[in-house]
Amino acid sequence: MSKSIRQRIAEELTGPALPFVAFCIALNLTVGQVTAALKIPLYLDSIGTILVAVLVGPWSAVFCGSAANLLAAAFGNPTMMFFIPVVAVIGTFTGIIAKLGWFRKWYLVCLGGILQGILAALVSAPISAYLFGGVMMAGTDFLVLYFRSVGNTLMDSVLYQGLASDPADKLVSYFIVFLLVKNLPQRLLARLHGAGNIRTPGRTP
Amino acid sequence: MTFRIDLSAKFAFVVLLWVCAFTLPWEYQAALCLLVLAGRFAVPSFRPQSERSSAAFSNFLLYSMAVAFFVILLNSILIRGGSTYGTILGFMLHQEGLFFGLKTASRLLLLTYSILVFFISTPLKELIRFLQQKGLSPSFTLILLLTLHFLDHLPARIHQIFLAQQARGAPVDAGIASRSKALLSLLSPLVLSSIVESIDRGTALELRGFLNRPNDANRVAASTAGWNLLTMLLLLISTIILLAAIYRWLLG
Amino acid sequence: MAARIDISALSLRFPESAAPAVDSLTVSIPAGTCVGIVGPTGAGKTTLLHCLSGILRKHHPDIVASGNIRIGTESFAGIPEDILFPRVGLVLQDQFVQISGVRDTVFEEILFTLENMGAAGADSDRRVRSVLQSLGIEHLRDRKPTSLSGGETQRVALATILVAQPEVLLLDEPITALDATAQGRLRSILTGLKGQTTVLLSDSQIDFPLSVCDLILVLDHGRAAAFLAPGELPASGQNFSNVGGLDRWLQLSEDLRELSDKGSRVAARILKGLNLS
Repeated sequence: MSKSIRQRIAEELTGPALPFVAFCIALNLTVGQVTAALKIPLYLDSIGTILVAVLVGPWSAVFCGSAANLLAAAFGNPTMMFFIPVVAVIGTFTGIIAKLGWFRKWYLVCLGGILQGILAALVSAPISAYLFGGVMMAGTDFLVLYFRSVGNTLMDSVLYQGLASDPADKLVSYFIVFLLVKNLPQRLLARLHGAGNIRTPGRTP
Repeated sequence: MTFRIDLSAKFAFVVLLWVCAFTLPWEYQAALCLLVLAGRFAVPSFRPQSERSSAAFSNFLLYSMAVAFFVILLNSILIRGGSTYGTILGFMLHQEGLFFGLKTASRLLLLTYSILVFFISTPLKELIRFLQQKGLSPSFTLILLLTLHFLDHLPARIHQIFLAQQARGAPVDAGIASRSKALLSLLSPLVLSSIVESIDRGTALELRGFLNRPNDANRVAASTAGWNLLTMLLLLISTIILLAAIYRWLLG
Repeated sequence: MAARIDISALSLRFPESAAPAVDSLTVSIPAGTCVGIVGPTGAGKTTLLHCLSGILRKHHPDIVASGNIRIGTESFAGIPEDILFPRVGLVLQDQFVQISGVRDTVFEEILFTLENMGAAGADSDRRVRSVLQSLGIEHLRDRKPTSLSGGETQRVALATILVAQPEVLLLDEPITALDATAQGRLRSILTGLKGQTTVLLSDSQIDFPLSVCDLILVLDHGRAAAFLAPGELPASGQNFSNVGGLDRWLQLSEDLRELSDKGSRVAARILKGLNLS
């Protein structure tokens, strides 16, 4: 018999998972400090969501991403609220491919990152186009402007911009998470629900 | 029954503004934006709760003005149709694009201002407790509260790890490739230590019976609080506006 | 009300390890006593405490267990399958993680335990105040739990468990990071608990358990090397060189006993004060 959503969430949220999800939400909100300190032009604001998706499960990842966006809105950036569907998709997709074992092989991680980026672009395009008119006050606005100036509609321009930048961004995020988790001690992983997503049970790195 | 601006009324107000943002003409949306901004100063329940909230409001106001300006300008230039309204830097401003830009900008501003004023005037812990009363599970409530705790301590921990890695020679000031490697040397201990701490904290929560906690403890308080007339009124108005908009749309 | 603990031929082995963590352990702990579990790192102290709390099977479902445990009137073939809170309360070694971090005051933090039990009602305020008073931390009731010192945090962590009125209280290396004053306070608290709750505390050094415990269980590679009252340890004639400080204490007690036998009242008083007479 298939389990209800409540049961699936309860399975994922064991004792250790609760503080870990909280940590990952905080990580989403503060990782910008790390990249800023190193002067690296990356956002990585979904890295916590991806970590939860891999180590805990998809439902927890959806909550992690949504909560991070909610808190970002609460801290003075209300536009983040509108992208909750995007992070929900990131959490769900990543959790599903993690369960399928994609985070055990680097090439599957790369493929997953690219697919995730495409999916994120598809989901965020209508939001950016309809609500923001394609203007996010970011460097990527020039890409949108270019696509519009050569005759594409607003929606298509935003989509093409997303397809140009999101897969690369998500690929990097996925790969960083892969490198972070692949050598984690098994005795620690075993305490989180998604331990089997990192390595085949019975194998140690 | 009461009539007060509590959290449920604030939620209902945000719902009303969102319904207006998707149904009313842009002129009404722009007027509502001004009303919301005025409310932030005039209505005590909508005033910022802290210096930080006040600063966040000011910063976002500037950002949103810039976004609105560029939305209107770019669409005026790129969407051609109707009469023209002059030129800016050699680019013609078209009527159709201008109205599209105005519609988009006013909708965006109304949506974002409604959220912003809600959050700057509501302490997060009060919001989380309210959500718990309305049915958010104890686990999710705990995660949100614990996040606020980690947000207080994580920046210091990141700084500590940064200094420690710098002291052992991590290339934090070298070229982009080296700095990218240094990124892992910063994130790795952060993630590892967080997992270890999570296991210990999770164990402590289990040992205090948290996972067997009954769901209903806080809902009892909410159910005895009574209905707020203001909340009901705002929701009623939202419903009427939404139904009217659907009716107009069906009529074509 | 305190519970008696009977452990019979208990053996515990983690699947990844060849050697057992606990090996054929048989002890009976009278209700209301305070027992110190001492031994070097890896002796099985923490494993034993986690086993009695019920968390061991939960976190290590594939642990191999045999024997029998009886806590009060409840008997377990092997080890408890689930956490036994509130009957059995465990205070972890790191007292800072024991504090949830989700409550704004010490009072609310302790109340959190009662909420988890579904016992946050009219009587809960009285129970929390009573625990604050018994641990001497009423002055901390409105303080932020995360702003306390190590000793204060230790007492609040203890309060969060004691408010549940457990029959058995387990303390995993409770004096780590406590200064002498804080240790003294903890000693008073544990002395006050005797008779009300059965207390088991683990330590890798003998000093603190000697000063407060009624019985000492010496573990060595998971086996019970000795289970005696502190005063009986010198006469046991065993070698406790791998228990931190125990050999030093036994040598000291031997010397003091010799002096006492020769008529030294000072030596006799010292022996009594050290709980070694």
